[in-house]
Amino acid sequence: MPRWIPDAPGEEAALLSALGIASIDELFADVPKKARIGKMGVGPSHEEAEVVREVDRLLDRNKPLSKFANFVGGRIAPRYSPAAVDAIVSRSEFYTAYTPYQPEASQGMLRALFEFQSLWVELTGLDVANASLYDGATAAGEALLFCHRVRDGGRRFLVPASLPWEEKSVLRNYASGPGLVLDEIPYHEGTGRLDLDWVRAAVSTGDVFGVLADVPNGFGHVDEGVADLKEILGTIPLVVAADPLALSVLEPPGNYGADVVVGEGQGFGIPPSYGGPLLGLFACRTEHVRLAPGRIVGATRDVEGRPAYTLTLQTREQHIRRSRATSNICTNQSLMALAFTVYASVVGPRGLAALQSSLAEKARTLASALGGIDGIRAPRFDAPYLGDFTIELTRGTVPEFLDRLRRRKVLGGHPLADPRPGAEPSPARLLVSATEAIGDKEIQKYVRSARAAMGAA
Amino acid sequence: MSFRQARWDEPAIWDLAPERAAEPPPTIPGIPERMRRKSAVRWPELSELEVVRHFTRLSQMNFGIDTSPYPLGSCTMKYNPKVSELLARRPGAADLHPGQPEETAQGALEILWRLERLLGRVTGLPEVSLQAAAGAHGEWAALLMVRAYFRDRGELDQRTEVLLPDTAHGTNPASARMAGFTTRELPSKEGCVDLAALRAAVSDRTACFMLTNPNTAGLFESDILEIAETVHGVGGTLYYDGANLNAILGVTHPGRMGFDVAHLNLHKTFATPHGGGGPGAGVLAAGEKLGPYLPVPRVVKQGRKFRLDYDRPKSIGKIKSAYGNFGLDLRAYAFALTHGEEGLRHVARRAVLNSNYLGLRMGRSLPRPFRTLVKHEFLLSGSPLKARGLRTLDLAKRLLDEGVHAPTIYFPALVDEALMVELPETESKRVLDEYVAAFERSLADSPENLRAAPRSLAVGRIDEVRAAREPLLSWKDLREAAGKAETPGAVAPER
Repeated sequence: MPRWIPDAPGEEAALLSALGIASIDELFADVPKKARIGKMGVGPSHEEAEVVREVDRLLDRNKPLSKFANFVGGRIAPRYSPAAVDAIVSRSEFYTAYTPYQPEASQGMLRALFEFQSLWVELTGLDVANASLYDGATAAGEALLFCHRVRDGGRRFLVPASLPWEEKSVLRNYASGPGLVLDEIPYHEGTGRLDLDWVRAAVSTGDVFGVLADVPNGFGHVDEGVADLKEILGTIPLVVAADPLALSVLEPPGNYGADVVVGEGQGFGIPPSYGGPLLGLFACRTEHVRLAPGRIVGATRDVEGRPAYTLTLQTREQHIRRSRATSNICTNQSLMALAFTVYASVVGPRGLAALQSSLAEKARTLASALGGIDGIRAPRFDAPYLGDFTIELTRGTVPEFLDRLRRRKVLGGHPLADPRPGAEPSPARLLVSATEAIGDKEIQKYVRSARAAMGAA
Repeated sequence: MSFRQARWDEPAIWDLAPERAAEPPPTIPGIPERMRRKSAVRWPELSELEVVRHFTRLSQMNFGIDTSPYPLGSCTMKYNPKVSELLARRPGAADLHPGQPEETAQGALEILWRLERLLGRVTGLPEVSLQAAAGAHGEWAALLMVRAYFRDRGELDQRTEVLLPDTAHGTNPASARMAGFTTRELPSKEGCVDLAALRAAVSDRTACFMLTNPNTAGLFESDILEIAETVHGVGGTLYYDGANLNAILGVTHPGRMGFDVAHLNLHKTFATPHGGGGPGAGVLAAGEKLGPYLPVPRVVKQGRKFRLDYDRPKSIGKIKSAYGNFGLDLRAYAFALTHGEEGLRHVARRAVLNSNYLGLRMGRSLPRPFRTLVKHEFLLSGSPLKARGLRTLDLAKRLLDEGVHAPTIYFPALVDEALMVELPETESKRVLDEYVAAFERSLADSPENLRAAPRSLAVGRIDEVRAAREPLLSWKDLREAAGKAETPGAVAPER
């Protein structure tokens, strides 16, 4: 039995005798016999050393990204995180705390979250950020519902057809409860840019309550058409899903009319961990704050006039408003928000921009080299990009291509097709990402492997 | 009372360095001028030591389980084993991308698969998905599954109502609403579901009854089999809110009780750290009826290989960008593997023993609203405090001065001035006795001292009304408030 349950001699007996009972069984007398179970069948207990050995044995069957020349990235970005970030996140005053329901006892986390909200406000050019949501996709889902509250009318929410299929699927689920519909904005075949004429026509039906556009988009490209959307939308809310690192070098979306900016924050100090925990980012304008989802930390004073912080505007939330809450969210991603803030503060604004700049340079080098290979269109779209871009195979399939690369220790990118049977057939495309871990050597390796793969295709 | 929390006079991070005019960020070739950031992100440039010291000081102004007993009812603040932290940071766990090929993540898939099988047995609901990011996320997804189920049966237009007891967590009605249902809360009887009221309320409009068992009063719903029969009798589904599963491990389970679908919170029963407000990790467990509607992908074993299966035609689709919170699933797996059958059973038994003992001791000072045989938590009413001109809030703040966290307060709403107490299985009798002593000292203290509490923490009693009335929600707000000059009564920015 682990040391996690106290078992000092006589301890349990003392508790039982205080209660005047002979056995713990008596405390379950209110569970009807017919509802009882026998064994669960979950196996024996193990010593800590055995657990470490067994879990390590399983983890050894994984091949971490460091074993490859890795070009898989996208919204979930494998980036180096300075050791200082994990040192802070590992402080158990932070990681073993609960949501700060007693603010006086939780000023540390509340202040960190206030700084986190401030940072997302500075990156986005909006007014108010919440204290986090689950991940980028669910933040977009919450933004969809938020737009519906703001607009109060209309059934259609527009998203780019180029949005990753996973995010569309999540958004469809958020839309389905209130009976809303997701519509896809087509893109121009050559550039991947949004078809703004299509948006204009859709908006003129009067049935659109919100529009989401991503920067960079699902193909990795920066589409300046996004900056024209607000003029078309007028009072219809615009959501921009933005990458936080990209915002170190790109115009804050608040400056071109975004009413909401959401994003995936994992790239700032959080390991990819096979997909979670991640970090959902959400910011909006002050006039809409009372319609916003999630926890929000505010600055105030204590009785002696000292600056102090607390969860605020809670009448929006489920524990008070119940079925009329702006969202059901309770537990969010506080510790990940802390990691995000520590990462950005250690790296600094100049460091972030320099990192984005260097990733963009690597991506350009790679794209132009791959573009010279027969059978690969790289980049597929004629549009500017930062660290990610899309390639298209003109022969062979994506799985075959990736398999051949993997045999040469190259992870060639992230397939863009929806893997569900019955999904619409899509072109042989993959998103290729530059990371800090790749240099000229890895780029050359990719190019050699890709050439060989296409030669065999 | 000899406790004192660190009280650093620590400036906000932006006040650690003077603001300087910063160079605009570098130009990236190809990026159109109008999309280019014209000025650097407004955030301080600090040395690594300055950042580390800043956040270390903040951490010292924060209670955690590792510093203090943390008896938040329903939150199950148990010890978070250090071995889980160690394992989650291994490169074979942390340095894995969800987009890398399945062949290169066989260990991760096997851990997910094993944990799902284990949770299937613990809940008696064999179809399990770990995709949900937290409990409330799982609630919402489960209700979308219920929707899809009734759509398939052609009953969706009719089954529009979700019923719940008035003791339900606030997330339940909020999730039901988000999933497109109307909600109706049923008044409980002596802290439990009033079977007669439930029988009167169910109808062919009932899509689902959501229930926590043991419930938020800490009481086991002994009529559970009749409740299940009642709901199923009208063709409705029964939903298990797993926030309190820790009380019944190995004694009963949602499957045996007749539930069709459940969510669990791995950060409660399975000891993954709550991180000061997340990350959590939600689990969806379903029986035969709702299993086909679980989100895709599902983790499956084929021969000796593990893979993600997307071929689930009835699935509701995705609810999160990647599969789940693997880092937390791994921690929960280490917890479950350590405990095994006997250990998990002991988790529930000791939690319930602690709770009944603490209820007995603390119940000598304040009234207990319902029957005294409780499970993992219990309620007290702070209503006698009102005669002294005090509230439960004052008592909670005074407890903080003892260096212990306060219980959950003012929930559930059916108890006047409620306190909801839960000190789980990882707390020793010595800690329970010390908590009782702190509680008794706090109650015996003068009304002035209770109203003046807390006085030993980084800050004193916080003005929450002001925070809501004059919202200052970011550095930008503080700058603007400061810019609006030194009008009397205005909140000045931080030093």
